[in-house]
Amino acid sequence: MTWRRPSLLVAGVLLAGTATACGGGGQSTATAFDPNNCQGGTLEILNQDDAGSHLDPARLYTSGGGNIPSLLFRTLTTRTRKAGADGAKVAPDLATDTGQPNADATVWTYHLRDGLKFEDGTPITSADVKYGIERGFAAELPGGAPYLHDWLVNAQNYPGPYKDPNGIPAIETPDAKTIVFHLNSPHGDFPYLATATQFAPVPKALDKGADYEKHPISSGPYKIETYDKGKSVVLVRNTNWSRAVDPNRLACPDRIEGTYGLDQAVINQRLSTGTGKDADAVTTDTDLGPSELAQLDNNPELAKRVAKGGFPYTYYIAFDNTKAPFDNPKVRQAFSYAIDRTSVVNAAGGSSLAYPATTFLPDNKTMGYQPFDYFPAGRNGDPAKAKQLLAEAGFPDGITVTLAHRSADFNQDGPKVATAVQDAYKKAGITVKLQSIETDSYSTTVDNPATQPQMALQGWGADWPSGGPFIVPIFDGRQYLAGGGNFNTAHFNDPKVNAEIDEINKITDPAQAAQRWGQLDAEIMKQSPAVLLFHTTQLRLYGKNVKNAFVSDWTGVYDLSQVSVK
Amino acid sequence: MFTGRFRTDRAAVFGAVVAGLLVLLAILAPVLTALEGQDIASFHNDLVDSARGGVPIGSLGGISGQHWLGVEPQTGRDLFARVAQGAQISLLVAVCATMVQVFLGVVVGLAAGLGGKWLDTVLTRLADISLAFPVIIFSLALLTIVPDSFPRPLLLALVIGVLGWGGTARISRAQTLSLRTRDFVAAARLSGAGGFRIARREILPGLAAPVITYAALLLPSNVITEAALSFLGVGVRPPTSSWGQMLSTATTWFRSDVMYVLIPAFMVFLTVLSFTLMGEGVRVALDPRTTRLTRKAG
Repeated sequence: MTWRRPSLLVAGVLLAGTATACGGGGQSTATAFDPNNCQGGTLEILNQDDAGSHLDPARLYTSGGGNIPSLLFRTLTTRTRKAGADGAKVAPDLATDTGQPNADATVWTYHLRDGLKFEDGTPITSADVKYGIERGFAAELPGGAPYLHDWLVNAQNYPGPYKDPNGIPAIETPDAKTIVFHLNSPHGDFPYLATATQFAPVPKALDKGADYEKHPISSGPYKIETYDKGKSVVLVRNTNWSRAVDPNRLACPDRIEGTYGLDQAVINQRLSTGTGKDADAVTTDTDLGPSELAQLDNNPELAKRVAKGGFPYTYYIAFDNTKAPFDNPKVRQAFSYAIDRTSVVNAAGGSSLAYPATTFLPDNKTMGYQPFDYFPAGRNGDPAKAKQLLAEAGFPDGITVTLAHRSADFNQDGPKVATAVQDAYKKAGITVKLQSIETDSYSTTVDNPATQPQMALQGWGADWPSGGPFIVPIFDGRQYLAGGGNFNTAHFNDPKVNAEIDEINKITDPAQAAQRWGQLDAEIMKQSPAVLLFHTTQLRLYGKNVKNAFVSDWTGVYDLSQVSVK
Repeated sequence: MFTGRFRTDRAAVFGAVVAGLLVLLAILAPVLTALEGQDIASFHNDLVDSARGGVPIGSLGGISGQHWLGVEPQTGRDLFARVAQGAQISLLVAVCATMVQVFLGVVVGLAAGLGGKWLDTVLTRLADISLAFPVIIFSLALLTIVPDSFPRPLLLALVIGVLGWGGTARISRAQTLSLRTRDFVAAARLSGAGGFRIARREILPGLAAPVITYAALLLPSNVITEAALSFLGVGVRPPTSSWGQMLSTATTWFRSDVMYVLIPAFMVFLTVLSFTLMGEGVRVALDPRTTRLTRKAG
């Protein structure tokens, strides 16, 4: 399953603290954003898709869920809620610091803040955090990131608290405020991992297993009033939360109402017109459409309300490198040469929203990006070279393959991109049959080797701002999971690559590690384990009354815990 | 006599001519597209403005000598080729669906009109149910559960046809009931003709006029249903094009590329208008007792 893109991403311009005038009617005057006087109002969220496929902290993939999970679930650490590069750092959340490691970074100790409570007033203890992590191991609750399985001592085969109530011995809770993690190898990245929703406390007494997502217990500034999966969510203030126990979240609106299942054109039209409640609205999953893109040049009022971001994200065509015909490097190379990246970029919304990918790492320094292009396809593909390679590989008369795509286009892995791929490959003698898979079951179909289609459109985003979580789940051979939840869809397993991953993980200097990740990216891509398509940028509109919508380098999206509609 | 009356009806003649041209467009789609020098599927990245989301370059959606109706936004595929293929799909589905509706309707109507009271009651109620059915909603449900491997245009024709026979059945039954009491039917029965022979030789010819009239009016409504289902995303699948599908994608483009909305919308409008005018003309010509409402001179 692919990580779901969060909301809004910004590259440069920040709107934090900027005076935001109400456009249009002039019914209110411009006021500067004041965090101490921002409370009130109702924030509307207009989205195409649900807040997350599952609103259960065990089932959310790192920062996924369109920004809403962070309003409900506090974690040991969290992202720094600051604009730009400052936002790429880890901040303490439930814990008093970002974690105290032992000498070789294999034991991490956290202490909880004072005064932490669940929405029902029960104090939050370290046992609740431990229980939340253990739930993430349950086969009944799939969807989380794989890191904890691999990093904790002897936790690989832990079946979850429902089958084994004794818990994971590698997590100790010597008292109600202290939690200690024992890792099987050094991981300087542990504070980053502790931002994942699996590190949110879950009260064991109120756990209902798979039904917990209907009303997960809040530890954050809001709690669920109503939640109708796939349709709507209403959040109201959690009176047992206060800024005194949470220095990160501003939580300005009194109420947050999310509406899902809207059409892209409808969302952009409503945000751009901004009548009534729509002036207080944002979207966390919809980029500008062509109507708005065409207006940006000559409509400064609209342009001012666009947050531009670059969440590190890569789209590619995944196929099993161990199965014919893709076990033949020449076939894989032919597919890379034949791709027309101009077509696929246009299908993804044009050059304002996407740029061609020839590297797996997106163009982002902190990730370790290094430019290369081993199978130069030019702007429109090189069908002649592809045909020649296919002939050498034993397919002189072309080849027929099946490409799976999501049934809808909102995630850039839908029919539009698939059709563009189909057309580009036709010129190289590759006949592509399209296989449309329902949105809800797309990820689980593709990431289960038993049901994995021959070829599939895939996207991958960074779990935290480093090259490791970008490359390791996709190309570390030891990350292959035969039973499902497998992100290594290439079935890639190169002992040299695995060894280099282990070496880089020992490096504690982020700049040095970034350089090595960039080199490793090049080494992997030389073997053409996937066809790289494009990286995305994000352009998202917010309502006329929305203030403090700024974007950090970590999430690349504006943060719902910081915006105000007052 | 029929052609004479039809020919004097200028609206009907106009409808027939336009409908004929549309049929020609559909039949000759590949030839005309080749004449234009284009094909349906090829992308033209150089004809769209990528930075503005893929809006066609040039005025009126990129209409030019090479691309008679401009190009599709985002992909640059030739719009004339896609509109012509849309005509094929639209007419093929509508004609096939109408044939299914007429066949089922006539069979059920004859059986109800000639059969016993019990059979008549059951079949008439079935027809009522089929008329009361929300066709679009039921089609949505049916079309989503059938696997993609089933040919889509055929499936659309079947679904629209099987769900829409109620009207033809009622008209056939009413006409059968009135014909079965006529002397020539009684004579045939007395001379020993069986039920099947009476239905085929005596009643069926008498059904032709009302059924043809009704079918001529069903056709345009089937065009609309096909467009609606494709608009809702359960019609033909890409890369096959259809007007409804074009209108569906055009919802995000109506501001930046208005031609992309207008062209398929105009094609649906023209098809429905021409076939309706023609059907109305057929009705008037076949049934001289009725006259066109608009000509009811006081």
